[in-house]
Order: sequence, then C-alpha cells, then structure tokens
Amino acid sequence: MNKLGRILLVEDDPKDVELTLTALGEYNLANEVVLARDGEEALDYLYGGGNPGASGNGYPAVVLLDLKLPKVDGLEVLSRIRSEENTKAIPVVMLTSSREERDVLESYKLGVNAYVVKPVDFHEFVNAIKELGVFWAIINEPPPGSMKRE
Amino acid sequence: MQKRPYRELAISILWRYGLCVALVALAIVLTLLLQKAFSAPFWRSFFFVWVIVGSMWYLGKGPGFTAVILSTLAVDYYFTPPAGEFSQDLRNLPFVVVFFIFALVSGWISSRLKERERALSQARDELETRVQERTKELEKSNTLLLTEIEERRRAEKVLREQTELLHLTHDSIFVRDGEGIITYWNRGAEELYGWKSDEAIGKTAHELLGTVFPKPLEKIMSRLIVNGRWDGELVHTRRDGSLVIVSSRWAVQRGDDGQPVAILETNNDITEQKRAEDDIRKLNEELEMRVIKRTNELGEVNKELEAFAYSVSHDLRAPLRHLAGYAELLQKSASSNLDEKSTRYVAMILESAKRMGDLIDDLLAFSRTSRAEIKKSRVSLEELVDEVLGDVKRDANGREILWNVGELPDVYGDRSMLRLALVNVISNAVKFTRQRERAEIEIARIDEGNDVAIFVRDNGVGFDMKYAHKLFGVFQRLHRAEEFEGTGIGLAHVQRIIYRHGGKVWAESAPDEGTTIYFTLPRPPEDTGDE
Repeated sequence: MNKLGRILLVEDDPKDVELTLTALGEYNLANEVVLARDGEEALDYLYGGGNPGASGNGYPAVVLLDLKLPKVDGLEVLSRIRSEENTKAIPVVMLTSSREERDVLESYKLGVNAYVVKPVDFHEFVNAIKELGVFWAIINEPPPGSMKRE
Repeated sequence: MQKRPYRELAISILWRYGLCVALVALAIVLTLLLQKAFSAPFWRSFFFVWVIVGSMWYLGKGPGFTAVILSTLAVDYYFTPPAGEFSQDLRNLPFVVVFFIFALVSGWISSRLKERERALSQARDELETRVQERTKELEKSNTLLLTEIEERRRAEKVLREQTELLHLTHDSIFVRDGEGIITYWNRGAEELYGWKSDEAIGKTAHELLGTVFPKPLEKIMSRLIVNGRWDGELVHTRRDGSLVIVSSRWAVQRGDDGQPVAILETNNDITEQKRAEDDIRKLNEELEMRVIKRTNELGEVNKELEAFAYSVSHDLRAPLRHLAGYAELLQKSASSNLDEKSTRYVAMILESAKRMGDLIDDLLAFSRTSRAEIKKSRVSLEELVDEVLGDVKRDANGREILWNVGELPDVYGDRSMLRLALVNVISNAVKFTRQRERAEIEIARIDEGNDVAIFVRDNGVGFDMKYAHKLFGVFQRLHRAEEFEGTGIGLAHVQRIIYRHGGKVWAESAPDEGTTIYFTLPRPPEDTGDE
C-alpha cells in the first residue's frame, strides 16, 4: 500500500457523510478522513487555534468540498483556501449534487482542481469516490507540508 | 432742291450768256413794237429793266451785268434820239447815265435779293433736313418707347400673375425688409395667422407673430447672410392668441451691392404633425416602459425559475441519491437474509431512483436550454451532422443502418444547441428503427422560403398522426416504456431549440411506415437572398 494522504471532507448532510465514508471505507481510504460539518468548521480546522500548520500535523492531501453548506458555503471556503499562503496549493475537489453551469464556472474561476457531480446511482457514486480518493490521496503528489500516511 | 445741281450743270455758261443776249434782243424787239403806244421815256426802259432783273435773278451776276451793258447800249442806240445810232448829243447823256445807274441798281438789288433768297432757301433746306432727321429720330425713339412700354406691360402682367399665384398658394408667405418690417403678406399667411394683408404690412414681423426662435436670432441671421437661406422650426402666436408651430424657410434677397434688402419667409403649419410625433413618442416611451416592466417581470420569473431549477438540481437529487445509496447498502448487507421477492423489491427501488435521477437530469437540461443565452454564428450543418453521426453510430454498433446523407447547408445558430437538437432527432431515428432488419435513415434539405429546412427520415415504427400534437410535449411518449426507453423529453428539447432560433419544427408519420421530422433554421446573414 502506498502512503495515504489525509482527506478533509466538508459535508453537512449526515447521510452523504455516511455514504461517502462507506464508499471510501470499501477501499480502505477512510482512516485519515477529517470531517467538517459546515464551512465554518472547515475554516476553523484549517486556520483555527490547533491548525495543521501550527500543530505540525500537516495539511490534508486533498479537500473534498460540498458546494451548498450552512453558514459559510463551499465557494467561500474555496476562495479562502486559495487566498491563504499556507493552503493555496492544497488540491480541492468540489463534490456536489449540482451540475449548474454557473457553479462549475465559478468553482473553476476560484481555482478548483476538479468538479465532480455526485451520481444518483450508488455504484457510480462509490466509483467516483473511490477514484477521487485513490487519485488525490494516493497517486497525486501533494504539496510539501501535507500529511501522508506511510 | 435735289434738282439744283442738275440745273446748274445743265445751264452752261454759254447758255446763260446766250440767253442773256437773246433776252436783251427780245426786249429791243418788244420796246420797238410798243414804242408808238408808249412815248414816255419810262416805258423805253421797262422791258430792259425786267431783262436785267431777270438775268441777275435767274442767270447770275455775269449775265446780269452783261444785260446791263447791252441794255444801256441798246437804249442809247435805239431809243435815244437820233434813233439808229449812238448819241453824241450831250443832252441825251443824263438819260443814258440815269438808265445805266438805274439798271445797275436794279441788277444789284436783284442779285442781292437772289443771294438772300438762295441763302434763305439753303437755310430752309438745311432746316428741313434737320427737321426730317429729328423726325426720324423721334419716330425711332417712339418705336423704341412703344416696344419698351409693351414689354413693360407684359412684364407687369407676368409679375401680377406671379404675385397672384404667390398670393394664392396655401403656404404662408411674407416678405420683410432689412428692418424686419412686413412688406408682403399672402393669403396663406392671412389664413394661417388671422391678420389681413393690409393689417400685417408695415408691422414688425417678429413682434406681430411673437416669434420664438430655436436659437438666438443673431446666429440665424449670420447663417442666413452666409448661405442665403435658412430653415428651421419656429413657434408663432396667431391673432387669436393660439400657438402654431411652423416649419420655416427663409430666403434672402440681395441688392446690387450684395447687401440683403429683403427676406422671403415661407411657413408651413406643422403643429398637428408635431402633436402626432409627440403622441407617437409618448406612446413609444410608454411602450418602452411597458417592455422594460414586462422584461423585468419576466426577468424576475426567470430568476425564480432558475432558483427553482437550482434547488431541484441540488436538493432534489440529494435524497434520491441517499435512497439509492441506502437501498444498495441494504441489498449488500442483507442479501443473504432476503428472499427472492424482497431482493426484487430492493431492485425496483433502485431502478425507480435511477429513473427519477434521469428525469431530473433531463428536466434540468431542458430548462437550461430555455434559459441559456444563444450564441449565434455560422454553423456548417454538414460538419455538425458528421460529428453527431460519429457518436450515434458508436452507440448503434452492430446494427445495419443505411445512412443517406444529402448535401447540407450552412445555417446561423448556436452550435452546441444545434448539436443537441441533431443528436436528439438522429438518435430517435436510430431508436425507432431498432426492429427493422435493415434501417434506412435519410438526412437532407428542402427549400422552405427564406429559411433552410432539414429533414431526418427513418423507416421505423412511426406513429399515428392523430397524436402528432403530443409529439413535442415535455415527458410525452407515444410508445410504451418496455418498447422504447426514454424520458420523453428529447423532441421537446428539439422544439425548444428550434423555436429559440426562430424556426419551425413538424413531423410526418404513419404507423409502421417511418417518421420524418422537419425543422427550419435561419440562413447566415450574408447568405440571405441567395439561391
């Protein structure tokens, strides 16, 4: 097994969290998942008191970001990540229900690395999550400073 | 008068002297004949004096003087005693001398009279010549004068007629002099403003009419002086106080020195026209306001629809995904415990969830087609159909399809939307010919007025034309789901796309005989009117 990067999953819907974690679990990718239940939590994790940069835990190898979130939405989180020196290199994948053109366009404008529409079909969903996890957490070489599991 | 030179020429000197001698001889004969009747010495000289006077008068001084000498000699010879010889008697001498002197004096007087008369006659002749010349001149100038008078009369007539015409014209025309005083006022002006000609003439035009100028009068005047004319809109006040808007044209009349002496002003009442224009402008403004309002309303509705679609896209799909996800997990975790029936139920749940997902996706795509902005450009249908056929053929692999693609034109439209429409129509043709051993699909053009019409014809299952009105409705299907899969949104999509391009779409079909879908599209702007 290759070293596995930490995944920051930002998702407010507990069912989606469960299904996503199940999907990741099926391929042994779920161990290093940090969960944020809304945009604020995500920002708090990245920039708060015990932030990965300060605590030495390292930044996540990838952020799976839902678009529609309570309090601070996905696009705002993305824009903050891209504007901060410490986090601007972290790969961010939008994982969302919407394939609305303006959402896709806005996400790419803000510098998202990938935009994935969650399929209704569970098999497809599992495949999508698996491929994302494998690519971003294993294959992709993350920027220096992010945590990788040997 | 004119005869005189001839006579002078005719009477030669010889003739004159000869005649003089002959006359003296005649006088001798006559005196001799009458000697017995008249014994007084006076009568002895009577004829001689007449001969002398006559010679002097008619024959000139030379012959006259000759007559004096000859007469004196004849008197002395014949009529002084002794007759028949020259007198030597001194007693007779005084008579001869007296005669001679008398003859001389008579001759001189006659000669002088003759000269006087000649001078007089000459003067008379000259006078007459001058009178004739003057008369001629007078006649000439008279003729000239008459012609001139005639011409002037004619010109006056023309002028009068023209003035009359000017007076009769419907346009309001008046003339004002350099000081702005009205000098002419036609009937049109009388009718337009209400003042009679004799009331208006002599008044200052702009004061009488209360003229409102579109710009300062000085500017207008300088333009007028430079160009010789000016036109613009003025507001005048009529006699009854009402306002009239006129289209005014000014022309300047210049004197010999080039300075303006009068201005001809022609005015046409455009009040009604202006009012109509105002009304139209107001109506247009209102219309524009209404259009803006309606557009805003539509924009609002559109925004709401967009929000709705957005919400559907996000929120409706999530529970569906969960439904499918948990059903799948259930199937996996409980597969050993579930009987065949329950396994089928779970499978049905999954199938329905998937179908609903497809429906939502199609509906969202359809709504996007309606809302998305059309980006028109020249599109080669030939290329586009080629591209689409590539995709469609891949999906239909293994099937025998005879493709019959004719020459296709360029059209003007949104490439990606047109592609979507073509994909829908062509894959429909492929789908509904599935039961044919050998499917035939024809794609070609026909002429349809200014637009380009394309048709896609198949030899598939077709449909009954009595359902044709349902063909293009959203989620309308003319075949059962187990016969042909699909959400029933494809042709609705096609129709929406063609409508948004300003085209028409229609179908011809009969059960089991295949279907032809027609649609029209605009030609590229630069091609309009060709072919």
